[in-house]
Amino acid sequence: MSKFQTSIHEYLETLPLQTFNRLYQKPATCLAVFRLLPPLGKQIIMSSLYVDPPIAVSDMKLWFKGSAGEIKHTEAMQRLKALHIFEEVRGKYAMNATFLEQFRNALTGGGNSQSFGLATSTPDKYHVDIHFLDDYATKQWEAILHFMVGTTEGRPPCKGVLNLLGRSGLMTGGADNGGGGGDQMDARDFASQMARQDFGVPKITHKGFQFLLQDINTQVWAFLLQYLNMAESLNMDLVEVLTFFFQLGSLELGKDYSSENLTPTQTHLLEDLKAYGIVYQRKRGSRRYYPTRLATTLTSGTPVMLGSHTNATKIAAAAAAKKAEEEEEDDHGFIVLETNYRIYAYTDSPLQIAVLNLFVHLRDRFPNMVTGVVTRDSIRRALSKGITADQIITYLTAHAHAQMRKHSPILPLTVVDQIRLWEIEKNRLRPVPSWLYSQFSRQQDFESTLEYASELDVVLWSNQKRRMLCITAEGHTAVGAYVRKLISRHKELQAQQAQQSSPHTHHSPHVSSVAS
Amino acid sequence: MVKAVKGVVVECDSAVKQIILGLNEKGQFIIEDLDDTHVFVDASCVDQLREDIDQILNENTYKVEDAK
Repeated sequence: MSKFQTSIHEYLETLPLQTFNRLYQKPATCLAVFRLLPPLGKQIIMSSLYVDPPIAVSDMKLWFKGSAGEIKHTEAMQRLKALHIFEEVRGKYAMNATFLEQFRNALTGGGNSQSFGLATSTPDKYHVDIHFLDDYATKQWEAILHFMVGTTEGRPPCKGVLNLLGRSGLMTGGADNGGGGGDQMDARDFASQMARQDFGVPKITHKGFQFLLQDINTQVWAFLLQYLNMAESLNMDLVEVLTFFFQLGSLELGKDYSSENLTPTQTHLLEDLKAYGIVYQRKRGSRRYYPTRLATTLTSGTPVMLGSHTNATKIAAAAAAKKAEEEEEDDHGFIVLETNYRIYAYTDSPLQIAVLNLFVHLRDRFPNMVTGVVTRDSIRRALSKGITADQIITYLTAHAHAQMRKHSPILPLTVVDQIRLWEIEKNRLRPVPSWLYSQFSRQQDFESTLEYASELDVVLWSNQKRRMLCITAEGHTAVGAYVRKLISRHKELQAQQAQQSSPHTHHSPHVSSVAS
Repeated sequence: MVKAVKGVVVECDSAVKQIILGLNEKGQFIIEDLDDTHVFVDASCVDQLREDIDQILNENTYKVEDAK
């Protein structure tokens, strides 16, 4: 199963230079990429932004002290090179010309500023405030999460969302065996199957659970990345989509922006983002749109403060983020887990209850809490859905009640160990497809084969005495060829040395495959 | 002469290994008994084997009764 991509950096680094050159034509993109960089990367860019001639590599090394600094320097430069911001030419670092020009524009306000979104010139008759936008974003986003965990709360998300969920492998059809089924499934099939009543409940996958455990910002990015992957197959221009994402990241919360000069692709995009709660539009085809908090925090790196309603200015943002984190701890720390496997969750959110229901045997529900037990069956049910023990433990730790946090370790060890044991028990068999090589006629043949296979790192098991070794399926071609070569060389040698044929050499040595 | 056989190496703990040996009396799917924790089996029987072992282990676990 492919690793679920959540980081925009990883995605960006896979893009070719041409795409970058087009991306960097927009000042907003340059600024967004800059904001996504670690502090050291930012520092390097700022230091060299107004240095016109390329900087010699040796000169830049002088900026860093000691060996620790050098490692950090190499790391940072690797990032910048991967993003095609810097290029190493003949021992000198040259900044990408497009990036340089547009980033200067972004900072000084020069050039074409439309990439930061065009604010509408007339006031909106139906102006909405930040509070409303937060509510809207929360509602839309939670509707998606609700759907994922299978609660019937709220209306099911629209087709575009279903499509994306299916495509990204976050959810899979009820009939499938969990796993990567969603990857191959055609998007249209998925949507139509979803629409059918008898189809059953679509199941959340391993990836889906990982997704639920992330914080909102990561979730949004993960969703947008999936969207990017899908956009390619829908023949949407990748650069336009990315540019729009980055543009959204630089908009101001609570302001309305004109949608009139968006490209057709971006207009289409706006429709989809509306469904995720990333932007708000009063009605389809409206001339203005509002970014929500989900959008404006995309590139800022500060946690999304949905529902906190703090009208924080940019200067106070850091303080507000801290406060929000504290609030979050209060909000989200609702689970009490006891050594007797009982679990008490102080929550009335159907979403949280549904997530818990994935791996807890829930027993009673009260107005402000639910109780349940962690049992072997409930854990095994979760494990069979592809959820790992570590994910469960991480979730429980992250949402542990304030009372639990007083203890160290936070969760009772007995329960944590038992959950791990249950997982190990489920994976007591570790089967690996392989080839078994046996009946080596000479010890030295066996030893040199073993050595060769070890070098390739394809040995699964070996036994000197019995002259047997197991090779992974991938290593079979190489090792098979090696053994054949060994034997034929040996045969030649024998033929040279002894004129009389020994009974051994009559047999033509071969590697036979018995697949039964 | 060297012989190469296609199959599946199953790594397991020795308790499960004994269960596998027991199951083999019925099915005969083991190609080579490697050592205490490894056994080389036919590729087609792995899923069945997993189910069988699951079932046997299920029967042998103590369950805390839910007080209702």
